[in-house]
Amino acid sequence: MFFNLSHLIFRAKQGGVALLHGAVQFIQDIPWIFYIPEKMQMPIGNFIKWFNALFNGFFKKKKTFSLGLYGNPNVGKTSIANRISLDWTGTEVGVVSEIPHETRTVQKKERISLRVDGREITMNLLDMPGIATKVDYRDFLKYGLSQAESQQRAKEATKGIVEAIKWLDNVDVALVVMDATQDPYTQVNITILGNLEARSIPIIIVANKIDLKKAKPEKIREAFPQHEVVEISALTGENIEKLYKTIAYNT
Amino acid sequence: MAIQIELIPSTVFSGKEQDEKVRFILNMVRRDKILVLEATLSPVEEKLLIEKTMDHVTKDFPGIEIASFGEEAVDLKSKLVRFLGGRMSGFTVVGPSNLVKEVKRDPDKLSLWAAHK
Ligand SMILES: Nc1nc2c(ncn2[C@@H]2O[C@H](COP(=O)(O)OP(=O)(O)O)[C@@H](O)[C@H]2O)c(=O)[nH]1
Ligand SMILES: [Mg+2]
Repeated sequence: MFFNLSHLIFRAKQGGVALLHGAVQFIQDIPWIFYIPEKMQMPIGNFIKWFNALFNGFFKKKKTFSLGLYGNPNVGKTSIANRISLDWTGTEVGVVSEIPHETRTVQKKERISLRVDGREITMNLLDMPGIATKVDYRDFLKYGLSQAESQQRAKEATKGIVEAIKWLDNVDVALVVMDATQDPYTQVNITILGNLEARSIPIIIVANKIDLKKAKPEKIREAFPQHEVVEISALTGENIEKLYKTIAYNT
Repeated sequence: MAIQIELIPSTVFSGKEQDEKVRFILNMVRRDKILVLEATLSPVEEKLLIEKTMDHVTKDFPGIEIASFGEEAVDLKSKLVRFLGGRMSGFTVVGPSNLVKEVKRDPDKLSLWAAHK
Protein backbone atom coordinates (compact mmCIF):
# COMPACT_ATOMS: atom_id res chain seq x y z
CA MET A 1 0.00 0.00 0.00
CA PHE A 2 2.71 2.39 0.98
CA PHE A 3 4.59 1.63 -2.20
CA ASN A 4 1.55 2.52 -4.29
CA LEU A 5 1.04 5.67 -2.34
CA SER A 6 4.55 6.92 -2.92
CA HIS A 7 3.82 6.43 -6.58
CA LEU A 8 0.73 8.54 -6.22
CA ILE A 9 2.71 11.28 -4.56
CA PHE A 10 5.21 11.11 -7.36
CA ARG A 11 2.38 11.35 -9.88
CA ALA A 12 1.05 14.37 -8.04
CA LYS A 13 4.35 16.14 -8.52
CA GLN A 14 4.18 15.26 -12.18
CA GLY A 15 0.85 17.01 -12.41
CA GLY A 16 -1.64 14.12 -12.44
CA VAL A 17 -3.86 16.15 -10.22
CA ALA A 18 -7.42 15.32 -11.26
CA LEU A 19 -6.68 11.64 -11.55
CA LEU A 20 -4.98 11.60 -8.20
CA HIS A 21 -7.83 13.42 -6.54
CA GLY A 22 -10.12 10.67 -7.71
CA ALA A 23 -7.78 8.10 -6.25
CA VAL A 24 -7.57 9.92 -2.94
CA GLN A 25 -11.32 10.21 -2.81
CA PHE A 26 -11.46 6.48 -3.41
CA ILE A 27 -9.02 5.79 -0.57
CA GLN A 28 -11.19 7.90 1.71
CA ASP A 29 -14.43 6.24 0.70
CA ILE A 30 -13.48 2.60 1.09
CA PRO A 31 -12.91 1.21 4.57
CA TRP A 32 -9.15 1.21 4.16
CA ILE A 33 -8.67 1.00 7.91
CA PHE A 34 -8.83 -2.74 7.50
CA TYR A 35 -5.69 -3.20 5.52
CA ILE A 36 -3.46 -0.25 6.26
CA PRO A 37 -1.17 -0.96 9.22
CA GLU A 38 -1.79 1.30 12.15
CA LYS A 39 1.56 3.06 11.90
CA MET A 40 0.69 4.16 8.40
CA GLN A 41 -2.72 5.61 9.16
CA MET A 42 -1.52 8.96 10.35
CA PRO A 43 0.87 9.72 7.49
CA ILE A 44 -1.79 8.70 4.99
CA GLY A 45 -4.42 10.76 6.80
CA ASN A 46 -2.09 13.76 6.70
CA PHE A 47 -1.36 13.18 3.06
CA ILE A 48 -5.06 13.09 2.25
CA LYS A 49 -5.66 16.30 4.20
CA TRP A 50 -2.70 17.97 2.55
CA PHE A 51 -3.77 16.82 -0.86
CA ASN A 52 -7.38 17.91 -0.44
CA ALA A 53 -6.17 21.30 0.74
CA LEU A 54 -4.07 21.61 -2.37
CA PHE A 55 -6.82 20.38 -4.63
CA ASN A 56 -9.48 22.59 -3.11
CA GLY A 57 -7.09 25.49 -3.36
CA PHE A 58 -6.88 24.94 -7.10
CA PHE A 59 -10.43 24.24 -7.98
CA LYS A 60 -12.84 25.48 -5.35
CA LYS A 61 -13.97 28.94 -4.41
CA LYS A 62 -12.58 30.00 -1.08
CA LYS A 63 -15.15 30.46 1.61
CA THR A 64 -14.84 31.94 5.04
CA PHE A 65 -14.40 29.46 7.85
CA SER A 66 -14.34 29.82 11.59
CA LEU A 67 -11.25 29.01 13.62
CA GLY A 68 -11.76 28.44 17.36
CA LEU A 69 -9.04 28.65 20.00
CA TYR A 70 -9.60 26.05 22.70
CA GLY A 71 -7.83 24.92 25.84
CA ASN A 72 -7.42 25.21 29.58
CA PRO A 73 -7.34 28.71 31.10
CA ASN A 74 -4.03 30.61 30.88
CA VAL A 75 -2.40 28.52 28.18
CA GLY A 76 -2.11 31.58 25.91
CA LYS A 77 -5.19 31.44 23.67
CA THR A 78 -5.77 35.19 23.70
CA SER A 79 -2.04 35.86 23.21
CA ILE A 80 -2.16 33.71 20.07
CA ALA A 81 -5.42 35.31 18.86
CA ASN A 82 -3.87 38.75 19.33
CA ARG A 83 -0.72 37.81 17.47
CA ILE A 84 -2.66 36.37 14.51
CA SER A 85 -4.94 39.39 14.41
CA LEU A 86 -2.12 41.92 14.82
CA ASP A 87 -0.08 40.26 12.07
CA TRP A 88 -2.93 40.29 9.54
CA THR A 89 -5.24 43.17 10.55
CA GLY A 90 -3.17 45.39 12.81
CA THR A 91 -5.59 45.23 15.74
CA GLU A 92 -5.94 42.97 18.77
CA VAL A 93 -8.76 40.66 19.81
CA GLY A 94 -8.80 40.58 23.59
CA VAL A 95 -7.10 41.16 26.91
CA VAL A 96 -4.21 38.95 28.04
CA SER A 97 -3.78 38.40 31.76
CA GLU A 98 -1.86 36.23 34.18
CA ILE A 99 -5.13 35.91 36.14
CA PRO A 100 -7.08 32.87 34.91
CA HIS A 101 -10.46 33.36 33.20
CA GLU A 102 -9.67 36.80 31.80
CA THR A 103 -11.65 35.85 28.67
CA ARG A 104 -15.17 35.07 29.87
CA THR A 105 -17.19 35.52 26.70
CA VAL A 106 -16.34 34.39 23.17
CA GLN A 107 -14.30 37.11 21.42
CA LYS A 108 -14.81 37.28 17.66
CA LYS A 109 -12.66 38.83 15.01
CA GLU A 110 -14.27 38.53 11.62
CA ARG A 111 -12.74 38.14 8.18
CA ILE A 112 -9.04 37.89 8.83
CA SER A 113 -7.25 37.17 5.56
CA LEU A 114 -4.01 35.20 5.65
CA ARG A 115 -1.73 34.85 2.65
CA VAL A 116 0.55 31.83 2.80
CA ASP A 117 2.50 30.35 -0.12
CA GLY A 118 0.27 32.13 -2.62
CA ARG A 119 -2.90 30.80 -0.99
CA GLU A 120 -5.28 33.30 0.49
CA ILE A 121 -7.65 32.15 3.19
CA THR A 122 -10.22 34.18 5.09
CA MET A 123 -11.36 33.20 8.54
CA ASN A 124 -13.39 34.32 11.49
CA LEU A 125 -11.28 33.99 14.59
CA LEU A 126 -13.01 32.90 17.80
CA ASP A 127 -11.08 33.31 21.03
CA MET A 128 -12.81 31.07 23.55
CA PRO A 129 -12.96 31.28 27.32
CA GLY A 130 -10.69 28.63 28.86
CA ILE A 131 -12.46 25.41 29.79
CA ALA A 132 -12.10 24.02 33.31
CA THR A 133 -13.85 21.40 35.46
CA LYS A 134 -13.82 23.74 38.46
CA VAL A 135 -13.85 27.46 39.18
CA ASP A 136 -12.87 28.38 42.73
CA TYR A 137 -13.27 32.08 43.49
CA ARG A 138 -10.57 31.78 46.17
CA ASP A 139 -8.01 31.27 43.41
CA PHE A 140 -8.54 34.89 42.33
CA LEU A 141 -8.00 36.38 45.80
CA LYS A 142 -4.27 35.80 45.59
CA TYR A 143 -4.08 38.11 42.56
CA GLY A 144 -5.38 40.95 44.73
CA LEU A 145 -9.02 40.84 43.65
CA SER A 146 -11.56 41.56 46.37
CA GLN A 147 -13.95 38.92 47.68
CA ALA A 148 -16.82 40.41 45.64
CA GLU A 149 -14.74 40.80 42.47
CA SER A 150 -13.50 37.24 42.80
CA GLN A 151 -16.99 35.82 43.20
CA GLN A 152 -18.26 37.85 40.26
CA ARG A 153 -15.36 36.67 38.12
CA ALA A 154 -16.01 33.04 39.11
CA LYS A 155 -19.65 33.35 38.18
CA GLU A 156 -18.85 34.84 34.78
CA ALA A 157 -16.15 32.21 34.24
CA THR A 158 -18.64 29.34 34.69
CA LYS A 159 -20.91 30.95 32.07
CA GLY A 160 -17.93 31.40 29.74
CA ILE A 161 -17.03 27.73 30.04
CA VAL A 162 -20.58 26.71 29.09
CA GLU A 163 -20.47 29.08 26.11
CA ALA A 164 -17.13 27.70 24.91
CA ILE A 165 -18.44 24.13 25.20
CA LYS A 166 -21.56 24.99 23.22
CA TRP A 167 -19.37 26.40 20.44
CA LEU A 168 -17.43 23.13 20.16
CA ASP A 169 -19.94 21.86 17.61
CA ASN A 170 -19.80 24.99 15.48
CA VAL A 171 -16.19 25.74 14.61
CA ASP A 172 -14.75 24.61 11.28
CA VAL A 173 -11.17 24.26 12.52
CA ALA A 174 -9.86 24.16 16.07
CA LEU A 175 -6.54 25.25 17.50
CA VAL A 176 -6.23 23.33 20.74
CA VAL A 177 -3.72 25.30 22.75
CA MET A 178 -1.60 23.74 25.48
CA ASP A 179 1.01 25.23 27.79
CA ALA A 180 4.18 23.26 27.00
CA THR A 181 5.39 23.65 30.59
CA GLN A 182 2.33 21.78 31.94
CA ASP A 183 1.14 18.17 31.92
CA PRO A 184 -0.82 17.91 28.65
CA TYR A 185 -2.95 15.00 29.81
CA THR A 186 -5.71 17.07 31.42
CA GLN A 187 -9.34 16.02 31.38
CA VAL A 188 -10.13 19.28 29.61
CA ASN A 189 -7.74 18.53 26.74
CA ILE A 190 -9.05 14.98 26.46
CA THR A 191 -12.67 16.14 26.43
CA ILE A 192 -12.04 18.91 23.89
CA LEU A 193 -10.11 16.62 21.54
CA GLY A 194 -12.63 13.78 21.94
CA ASN A 195 -15.53 15.99 20.96
CA LEU A 196 -13.76 17.57 18.00
CA GLU A 197 -12.65 14.15 16.80
CA ALA A 198 -16.17 12.78 17.11
CA ARG A 199 -17.34 15.54 14.78
CA SER A 200 -14.36 15.23 12.43
CA ILE A 201 -13.42 18.88 12.96
CA PRO A 202 -9.80 19.45 11.85
CA ILE A 203 -7.51 19.90 14.84
CA ILE A 204 -4.16 21.62 15.18
CA ILE A 205 -2.53 21.30 18.58
CA VAL A 206 -0.48 24.36 19.52
CA ALA A 207 2.29 23.75 22.05
CA ASN A 208 2.68 27.30 23.38
CA LYS A 209 5.25 28.99 25.64
CA ILE A 210 8.27 27.21 24.15
CA ASP A 211 10.34 30.28 25.09
CA LEU A 212 10.27 29.03 28.69
CA LYS A 213 13.11 26.78 29.87
CA LYS A 214 10.70 24.31 31.48
CA ALA A 215 8.81 23.79 28.21
CA LYS A 216 8.56 20.16 27.08
CA PRO A 217 6.59 20.21 23.83
CA GLU A 218 7.66 16.61 23.15
CA LYS A 219 5.37 15.55 26.02
CA ILE A 220 2.44 16.96 24.06
CA ARG A 221 3.48 15.02 20.95
CA GLU A 222 3.74 11.83 23.02
CA ALA A 223 0.32 12.37 24.60
CA PHE A 224 -1.53 13.02 21.33
CA PRO A 225 0.42 11.28 18.55
CA GLN A 226 -2.62 11.23 16.27
CA HIS A 227 -2.57 15.01 15.85
CA GLU A 228 -0.37 17.61 14.26
CA VAL A 229 1.50 19.64 16.89
CA VAL A 230 2.97 23.09 16.17
CA GLU A 231 5.39 24.45 18.76
CA ILE A 232 5.30 28.21 19.17
CA SER A 233 5.79 31.09 21.53
CA ALA A 234 2.98 33.61 21.35
CA LEU A 235 5.16 35.89 23.46
CA THR A 236 8.24 36.03 21.20
CA GLY A 237 6.51 35.05 17.95
CA GLU A 238 8.86 32.10 17.48
CA ASN A 239 7.60 29.66 14.82
CA ILE A 240 4.38 31.60 14.20
CA GLU A 241 4.92 31.31 10.42
CA LYS A 242 4.78 27.55 10.81
CA LEU A 243 1.39 27.94 12.49
CA TYR A 244 0.07 30.07 9.59
CA LYS A 245 1.25 27.44 7.13
CA THR A 246 -0.39 24.67 9.09
CA ILE A 247 -3.66 26.61 9.25
CA ALA A 248 -3.53 27.28 5.52
CA TYR A 249 -2.98 23.62 4.65
CA ASN A 250 -5.61 22.30 7.04
CA THR A 251 -8.50 24.35 5.77
CA MET B 1 -15.16 13.86 58.86
CA ALA B 2 -14.23 10.78 56.87
CA ILE B 3 -13.99 10.74 53.10
CA GLN B 4 -16.50 8.49 51.40
CA ILE B 5 -15.59 6.59 48.26
CA GLU B 6 -18.19 4.69 46.25
CA LEU B 7 -17.41 2.03 43.69
CA ILE B 8 -20.09 1.89 40.99
CA PRO B 9 -20.23 -1.21 38.82
CA SER B 10 -20.87 -0.79 35.12
CA THR B 11 -24.28 -2.47 35.41
CA VAL B 12 -25.58 0.65 37.18
CA PHE B 13 -24.83 2.65 34.05
CA SER B 14 -25.80 0.26 31.32
CA GLY B 15 -28.94 1.31 29.55
CA LYS B 16 -28.91 4.79 31.12
CA GLU B 17 -29.29 7.86 28.93
CA GLN B 18 -26.43 10.40 28.79
CA ASP B 19 -28.40 12.93 30.82
CA GLU B 20 -29.22 10.35 33.45
CA LYS B 21 -25.59 9.28 33.82
CA VAL B 22 -24.43 12.86 34.21
CA ARG B 23 -27.17 13.65 36.72
CA PHE B 24 -26.32 10.52 38.70
CA ILE B 25 -22.63 11.45 38.91
CA LEU B 26 -23.28 15.06 39.79
CA ASN B 27 -25.81 14.23 42.49
CA MET B 28 -23.33 11.97 44.24
CA VAL B 29 -20.36 14.28 43.84
CA ARG B 30 -22.29 17.26 45.15
CA ARG B 31 -22.94 15.23 48.29
CA ASP B 32 -19.18 15.03 48.86
CA LYS B 33 -18.71 11.53 47.53
CA ILE B 34 -15.80 10.35 45.47
CA LEU B 35 -16.86 7.90 42.78
CA VAL B 36 -14.96 5.19 41.03
CA LEU B 37 -17.05 4.14 38.05
CA GLU B 38 -16.47 0.92 36.21
CA ALA B 39 -17.01 2.73 32.92
CA THR B 40 -15.53 5.43 30.76
CA LEU B 41 -17.61 8.37 29.59
CA SER B 42 -17.98 9.27 25.95
CA PRO B 43 -16.66 12.68 24.86
CA VAL B 44 -20.23 13.96 24.66
CA GLU B 45 -20.95 12.75 28.20
CA GLU B 46 -17.75 14.38 29.46
CA LYS B 47 -18.77 17.63 27.82
CA LEU B 48 -22.24 17.42 29.32
CA LEU B 49 -20.79 16.71 32.74
CA ILE B 50 -18.57 19.81 32.62
CA GLU B 51 -21.50 21.94 31.44
CA LYS B 52 -23.83 20.72 34.17
CA THR B 53 -21.08 21.08 36.76
CA MET B 54 -20.67 24.73 35.79
CA ASP B 55 -24.40 25.29 36.29
CA HIS B 56 -24.02 24.09 39.89
CA VAL B 57 -20.83 25.91 40.92
CA THR B 58 -21.16 27.81 44.18
CA LYS B 59 -18.74 29.07 46.85
CA ASP B 60 -18.91 25.68 48.54
CA PHE B 61 -18.95 23.54 45.42
CA PRO B 62 -16.27 24.87 43.06
CA GLY B 63 -16.51 21.93 40.69
CA ILE B 64 -15.07 18.51 40.04
CA GLU B 65 -11.86 16.65 39.43
CA ILE B 66 -12.18 13.83 36.95
CA ALA B 67 -9.95 11.40 35.13
CA SER B 68 -10.63 8.21 33.31
CA PHE B 69 -8.50 5.32 32.49
CA GLY B 70 -8.89 2.48 30.10
CA GLU B 71 -8.93 1.59 26.49
CA GLU B 72 -8.40 4.79 24.58
CA ALA B 73 -10.49 5.33 21.50
CA VAL B 74 -7.51 6.73 19.64
CA ASP B 75 -6.93 4.13 17.00
CA LEU B 76 -9.50 3.57 14.33
CA LYS B 77 -10.45 0.11 15.48
CA SER B 78 -11.49 1.20 18.97
CA LYS B 79 -13.15 4.27 17.53
CA LEU B 80 -15.21 1.96 15.39
CA VAL B 81 -16.04 -0.22 18.41
CA ARG B 82 -17.15 2.86 20.31
CA PHE B 83 -19.07 4.20 17.34
CA LEU B 84 -20.95 0.93 16.97
CA GLY B 85 -21.94 1.11 20.63
CA GLY B 86 -19.44 -1.44 21.90
CA ARG B 87 -18.40 -1.17 25.52
CA MET B 88 -15.00 0.34 26.22
CA SER B 89 -13.48 -1.19 29.30
CA GLY B 90 -11.97 1.11 31.86
CA PHE B 91 -12.89 3.21 34.84
CA THR B 92 -13.40 6.81 35.81
CA VAL B 93 -12.59 8.61 39.03
CA VAL B 94 -14.64 11.70 39.77
CA GLY B 95 -15.05 13.75 42.92
CA PRO B 96 -15.72 17.25 44.22
CA SER B 97 -12.66 19.45 43.75
CA ASN B 98 -12.78 20.63 47.37
CA LEU B 99 -12.02 17.03 48.43
CA VAL B 100 -10.07 15.73 45.48
CA LYS B 101 -6.97 17.85 45.09
CA GLU B 102 -5.69 16.10 42.04
CA VAL B 103 -6.24 13.04 39.91
CA LYS B 104 -3.24 12.23 37.81
CA ARG B 105 -3.04 9.70 35.08
CA ASP B 106 0.08 8.11 33.76
CA PRO B 107 0.45 5.20 31.35
CA ASP B 108 -0.39 2.49 33.88
CA LYS B 109 -2.28 3.99 36.77
CA LEU B 110 -4.53 6.70 38.14
CA SER B 111 -3.52 8.40 41.38
CA LEU B 112 -5.88 10.42 43.51
CA TRP B 113 -5.01 12.88 46.23
CA ALA B 114 -7.87 13.57 48.62
CA ALA B 115 -7.96 15.87 51.65
CA HIS B 116 -10.30 18.09 53.60
CA LYS B 117 -10.16 21.81 53.02
N1 LIG C 1 6.41 32.95 28.55
C1 LIG C 1 5.27 32.97 27.84
N2 LIG C 1 4.13 33.42 28.41
C2 LIG C 1 3.01 33.44 27.67
C3 LIG C 1 2.98 32.99 26.31
N3 LIG C 1 1.72 33.11 25.85
C4 LIG C 1 0.98 33.61 26.86
N4 LIG C 1 1.75 33.83 27.97
C5 LIG C 1 1.32 34.35 29.28
O1 LIG C 1 0.35 33.43 29.84
C6 LIG C 1 -0.64 34.16 30.55
C7 LIG C 1 -2.01 33.82 29.98
O2 LIG C 1 -2.12 34.31 28.66
P1 LIG C 1 -3.50 34.49 27.93
O3 LIG C 1 -3.23 34.75 26.50
O4 LIG C 1 -4.36 35.47 28.64
O5 LIG C 1 -4.10 33.00 28.12
P2 LIG C 1 -5.60 32.46 27.86
O6 LIG C 1 -6.26 32.42 29.19
O7 LIG C 1 -5.39 31.07 27.33
O8 LIG C 1 -6.27 33.36 26.88
C8 LIG C 1 -0.29 35.63 30.41
O9 LIG C 1 0.41 36.02 31.57
C9 LIG C 1 0.59 35.67 29.17
O10 LIG C 1 1.50 36.74 29.19
C10 LIG C 1 4.22 32.51 25.73
O11 LIG C 1 4.33 32.10 24.57
N5 LIG C 1 5.32 32.53 26.55
MG1 LIG D 1 -8.03 34.37 27.09
